[in-house]
Formats: sequence, C-alpha cells, structure tokens
Amino acid sequence: MKGISYLGTWVRNWYSIFVNELRLIFSDSGVMVIFFVGGLLYPVLYNLIYMNGTVDEMDVAVVDNSGGAYSRRFIRKVDATRECNILIYCASMEEAKALMQKGTVHGIIYVPGDFDSRLVRGEQGVISTYADMSSFLYYKCLTMGTNLTMLDEMHQIQLERYTASGMDAQAAWQAVQPVLSDESLPYNKPFSYTIFFISAALLLVIQQTMFYGESLLAGTLREQNRSFASMPGKLQGLGIGRVLLGRGAAYFSIYMVTGTLIALLIPWIFSLPQRGEWTDIMVLLVFFVVDCIFFTFTWSSLITRRETVFVLFLSVSPICLFLTGFSWPQTSIPEFWRYVSYFFPSTFGCRAFINLNTAGGSLALIAPEIRAMTIQTAVYYVLSSVSVFIENKVIENKEKIDRLKDKALELRGIDPDEARKVIAGK
Amino acid sequence: MTGKFVKVLRREFLIILKRPVYILSSVGVLIVNAAFYTTFMKDGLPHDLPIGVVDLDNSSTSRMFARELDATQLGKTVWYDDIHLAREHMETGKITSYIVIPEGFNSDVQSFRQPHIGYYVNSLYFVGGALAYKDILTMVNLTNGAVQREVMRLKGMNEREIMGKIQPIVLDQHQIGNPAVNYGVYLNGVLLPGILEMIVILITIYAVGSELKYGTSKHLLKTAGDSMVTALVGKLVPYNIIFTVLGITLEMLLFQWLKYPVKGSIFWMFLDILLLVSASEAMGLFIVELFPVLRLAISVGAIISVLGFSLAGFSLPVEAMPPYVQGFSAIFPLRHYYLFHVQETIWGSGFAGWWKEAVHLLLFLFLPFTLIGRLGHAYKYQDYERN
Repeated sequence: MKGISYLGTWVRNWYSIFVNELRLIFSDSGVMVIFFVGGLLYPVLYNLIYMNGTVDEMDVAVVDNSGGAYSRRFIRKVDATRECNILIYCASMEEAKALMQKGTVHGIIYVPGDFDSRLVRGEQGVISTYADMSSFLYYKCLTMGTNLTMLDEMHQIQLERYTASGMDAQAAWQAVQPVLSDESLPYNKPFSYTIFFISAALLLVIQQTMFYGESLLAGTLREQNRSFASMPGKLQGLGIGRVLLGRGAAYFSIYMVTGTLIALLIPWIFSLPQRGEWTDIMVLLVFFVVDCIFFTFTWSSLITRRETVFVLFLSVSPICLFLTGFSWPQTSIPEFWRYVSYFFPSTFGCRAFINLNTAGGSLALIAPEIRAMTIQTAVYYVLSSVSVFIENKVIENKEKIDRLKDKALELRGIDPDEARKVIAGK
Repeated sequence: MTGKFVKVLRREFLIILKRPVYILSSVGVLIVNAAFYTTFMKDGLPHDLPIGVVDLDNSSTSRMFARELDATQLGKTVWYDDIHLAREHMETGKITSYIVIPEGFNSDVQSFRQPHIGYYVNSLYFVGGALAYKDILTMVNLTNGAVQREVMRLKGMNEREIMGKIQPIVLDQHQIGNPAVNYGVYLNGVLLPGILEMIVILITIYAVGSELKYGTSKHLLKTAGDSMVTALVGKLVPYNIIFTVLGITLEMLLFQWLKYPVKGSIFWMFLDILLLVSASEAMGLFIVELFPVLRLAISVGAIISVLGFSLAGFSLPVEAMPPYVQGFSAIFPLRHYYLFHVQETIWGSGFAGWWKEAVHLLLFLFLPFTLIGRLGHAYKYQDYERN
C-alpha cells in the first residue's frame, strides 16, 4: 500500500513540476526568444550567409614575361578552371602586387621570360604563383587552379615530347601515366563551406540555445529567491529526482519539436544533403536532447543572475564547434583538449549528425557516439542532483551565508550598506 | 565636475570589486579563449592525417606506394583488409580518406597496362579532407614520375633530360603574408580579436544596462550630478582601461610572443586593436541606448557579436556571400579590424593602406551620441520593464 501511495505522490509531484516549468518557460519572453527565435533564426541566417559555399572564379592577375605559346596555353587553362578567373595582365610584378594589396585580385601567376624557350629546349619551365593569405579559401583556389592546370599541361607536354621521340600515341599515353587514378569525394564534392559548416553547427544550436535559455530562467528565479531547488522542508532533499525529471520533461517536450525542425526541416529548406534515415536522426535527437538537458542543469547551477550567462559563456559556442573536429581534424586535436571535449554533448552529437545525416551512415555506425552520450547523461544526472541538493542546503542557510558575506566585505574595508545602494539585486 | 567624475569612478570600481562577473567575463574569458585557440592549433598545419590503404595487390610496388604515402609529412597510413571497413571508418571520420590499390597493380604497372588507383576522400571534415586529397594527388603523380624515370634510365638518358620529360612544368608557390601556411596564424589573428570584440560589446551592455535593471541608475545620476555624460564616461573609463590592457596584451601575444608574421609595425596593430575596442564599446553603448532593457539589449549584443565572426569575411570571403548580405558586413567593427589587419600584417602598408578602415572604426564612435538622450530618460525615470 505504502509503495503505491509513494508512486502516486511521485507522479503527482512530477506532473505539477512539469507543468509549472512549462508555464515558466512560456511566460518568459526572453526564454521564448532564445528557444524559438534564436534556435531557428541562427540556422537560417547561417544558411543565408553561406548560401554559395564556395569561392568560384577568383580573380587572378598574370605577369607573362614569356608570352609564348606554352605560357599562353597555361594561362588559358587556368582561366578555364572553376577556381580561377584571369582578370588582368600586368606589365610588372609591382603592378600586380599593388592590385593584390587593394584586394582587386587574390592571386598572381608569374611566368618568367625563359619559360617558353626552356620548354622548347626540352627542359623544365618554372611558373611562380603568389597567393593572398588573408583568407585560406583564396589560397585553396589558387593552389587548386594552378596545380590542376599544371598536371594537365604536364601530361600534354609529355605526350608531345614522347611522340616527338618516335613513340606512337598509345605507347606515349601509357608512358606518361603508368598509374591512373579515380577520385571520389562522395559527401561534399565541391568542398562547399556551407555543407561542412552547417552540418556541424545545427546540433550545436540545440545545445547552446537550451543552455542559454534554461540558464536565463534559472538565473531569474534565483534573483527572485524562488529557485526550483528550494524544496519543502519535509522532503529533506528527497524530491530531487522528480524535480529534475519533471523539469527535464518540459525541456524535452519543447526541444523534440524545435530539434526536429532544426535537424530535419532546415536542411530540407536549404537543400543540404539529407542522406540519413529520418527515423535514425530522431533516435539520435532523443539521446542528444536528453544529454543536453542534464548538461544544462549541471552547468546552469553556476548562474545566479539572469543575464550573466551570456557575458560569461557566449564564447563557449565557437570553442564547442572547434572541439567537434569539424575543421581542425579530430586526430590532430591536442590530448588535453580532447579530454575537455568529452564534457560537451555537442562533441558526440555533432559528429554523429555529420556521419548520419550528411555522410549517410546508419545507426550502427554511430553506436560509439550514442554510447558516449549515454554515459554523459548518467554522469550529468548525478552531478545535477548533487547541485540541486547543495543549492537547497544553501537556500536553507541563506541568512547565515549573507551575514558571512557582509563580514567579508567589511574585512575588505567596504561598508555593506553603501555597497547595497550601488550593487543591485540585494 | 571633476569631483563628481571621481565619485562615479570610485563607485564603478566598487562594483567591479564586489561582483566577480566583470573580471571573470573580461580577463577570464579572454585568457581561456587565447589559451584554447593558440594551443589547439599549435602545429600550424595538421600532420599525420590517417589515410586508409586497402591493398588488394600485396606486391612490393603497392607496399612501396603505401610506405611512401606514410612517409609524407601530411599522411599516415592505416591498413585495411576490406573496403567496407575502410569506408565505414571514413564515414565516421576515423580516417580522412582511403585509397584502393587494385589486384594486379604491380604487373599492370610493369607492363604499362595503366592500373587505376581509386581514392575516396571525406570532405565533410574540411581541413583534413582537403589536405589528404592534396597528399594523395601528389603521391600518385610522384609514382608516375618514378615509373617513368626507371624506364628512361634504362634507355640511358641523363638526369637533366629525364627531369625535363618527367616534370616539364614546375610550380614555385609563394604564400604572401603566411609563408608557412600556418592555420593558427590565419585564424587566431582575427578570431581572438573577435572574441575581444564580443567581450567588449557584452560587458558594456551589461554594465550600463544593470543600472536600469537593478534600479540603481538614479543613484548613479545623483553621484554624477545629473550629468549623463559624466555618468557614462565615469562608468565606462574603468572598463576602457581593462579592455585596452587586454587588447595590447593580445597583440603582444600574437605578434611578439607567438611570432606571427607582421610585415609592418606592431605599433600600428596596437592602434588597430584600440580602434576595435573603442568601436565595439560604442556599438555596445548604442545597443543598450536603443533597447534600454538589459535582457533585450544583451540578446541583441550576443547575436551581433556572434554574427561578427562570419561577416568579418576571413573564413568565407565577403564577396562570396549573397549580395544582400555583403553590405551588412560593414556594420561589424571586426570587419574593419580584419581589413586593417590584412594591410598591416601582410603588406606593411602603413597609413596609406589602412586609413579608410581607421576612419570607419572611428565613425562608430558617433553612434552613441545619437541616442544618449533616450538612455538618459530611461536612467532618470526607469520607465522600462526590468525583467
């Protein structure tokens, strides 16, 4: 009998906490803005900014001191690549460099005077390239454009030379390329910035908006001395489970909706690759959202005032993004930071999403990430229980602590009454 | 007047002392970020990227090919018996790419039957993918060169002739401003000042907006003798000192201690960061004047400072963005800092190169004056909602 009535109370408490949390969320415009506007606005904005994704037809200047058939053919071929556009022929390097400094061109191709005569003699011709390093994409464009041209031109000249030395065309072709290669870049053929950036950022938006929004709410409640952690004395701190699960259910129900929009609708609207099964992505979302909830509960216990979460933790977002290994490769991340990355759900969630959605993997493939998120969830659940317990104790002994704080101020030579006038919230 | 000013200053220092959030979110946040980004990319360029090798031939030639790929600075080979496993590992990002050496590779090469090497690159992981792609492409061409050289040596050609035949065109590549192609130099040089911009905007909004939220603005005005200018200047001077010290230290860290290349003078970079700090402060102040409600202002400040990173145009260049986005880049101080930075560190242009950007950054300083009355009204009457 006792067991049943305990269960009944538990469910009733849980339900009232759940409803109360939903009411708190929906009556706070700041939290609503972060959850719904922020959560959906950021993906849309980033898609607009990175709409094109690649730098094509980057403007390049040419200084051609040779002016022969070979150099002209080389330049024409560079012009024909997707990466480069020959904007202008300059008379001197000085002129070309001045254009690059002004930002008119982002690369220079310099052909020395002896280029053609050397090639005609059967020797090596040298072409110099100068890349504007103010952005890595400029460097990539010039490197790709000139290297691909160089390879193509190299094969053509080789063919000419071999046939000139008496080989027939077939034999020459076989001699030029004894080994052929087939490339396959299955997931992001054009090295598009959009595909690579947005795939990594989408799930991070879920984690970060949840963290900022929930912290905003928790900070507000703490400012107004009505923290969720203040539990009725008769429970003696035993109600932690239903507090956490009740509040968690509120965030879960909201984030399964926005999360679905972010992970499924946004890629569809902007025609990003969606190679995974939507059911698999939903499974990933469930694990990820639950993980984020307890991650948020744990870390937001550091937030005592409404707005401080932004001031303190906004710069964590780009750090989390780099820790997913989306740009700087996972295998090159220093050991220390690899351990730090294990603190964040995004490290596993974003990787799993990239592998599942964009590379088209299956659930079995992301099993290690799912496992990691499950462990994280368990650890953060325990930690957030501990933090609620401690906060409850702090609230119970609030007067004592306040007196200690005043004493500390007096020791530093500050009058607590004067401080109260200037510093708010007391 | 000066007496009042000093009183406001003392009042502000008291706040900074009493509330750890100000020091934590300026000095603390910058230290954490600087430590993160400079150690995260300390190698400059990644090396030993895992490249899978599925060797179906198992001949001396195929093994040599894989060994040489392993010996490149960029690559490190991982052996697979089975294509499916290699593909799975590439899909999950465990390896950047894999190559498949077909059966009969060795005999096909020897008899000029032109075997195909297949390579598969996961370009979702951008930097690793692009570098592995480049590494494999180079190795395939070197292999072709090596085979040709053997043939020509047997025919009795001399080395000079051989090089002319194997590689008739050589590319001599220069990278202006970052000769070592150091990813850290490129990224941290703009990213860390961007973090500073974020810090400045947020703290300015928080400091000025808190007076409204906690209803202490009347006390502030009384201390300042009812002068809005005295109140704001006195309030912001302490932060200005903190931000200036942070900015100079940051530039010292990048260009002096980490020895990032700077063609011009580091002193002009000091000017650049000071202009960035002032412009961001003006921006923060303008936002809180426009929205004299702390939580709204801080949300707007957060959105603006996060977007600043993308719209500065150092990752994806601004000209590659859609036209209707390009214009917006001008409203972010970081954009002008970046253009100034390019002129000074890459070109060493001095005043002639970056004066326009300096003027743009100075223009931000006029922003707060346009709405100072609005904030003054809010300070005096506290008639906006607080939460």
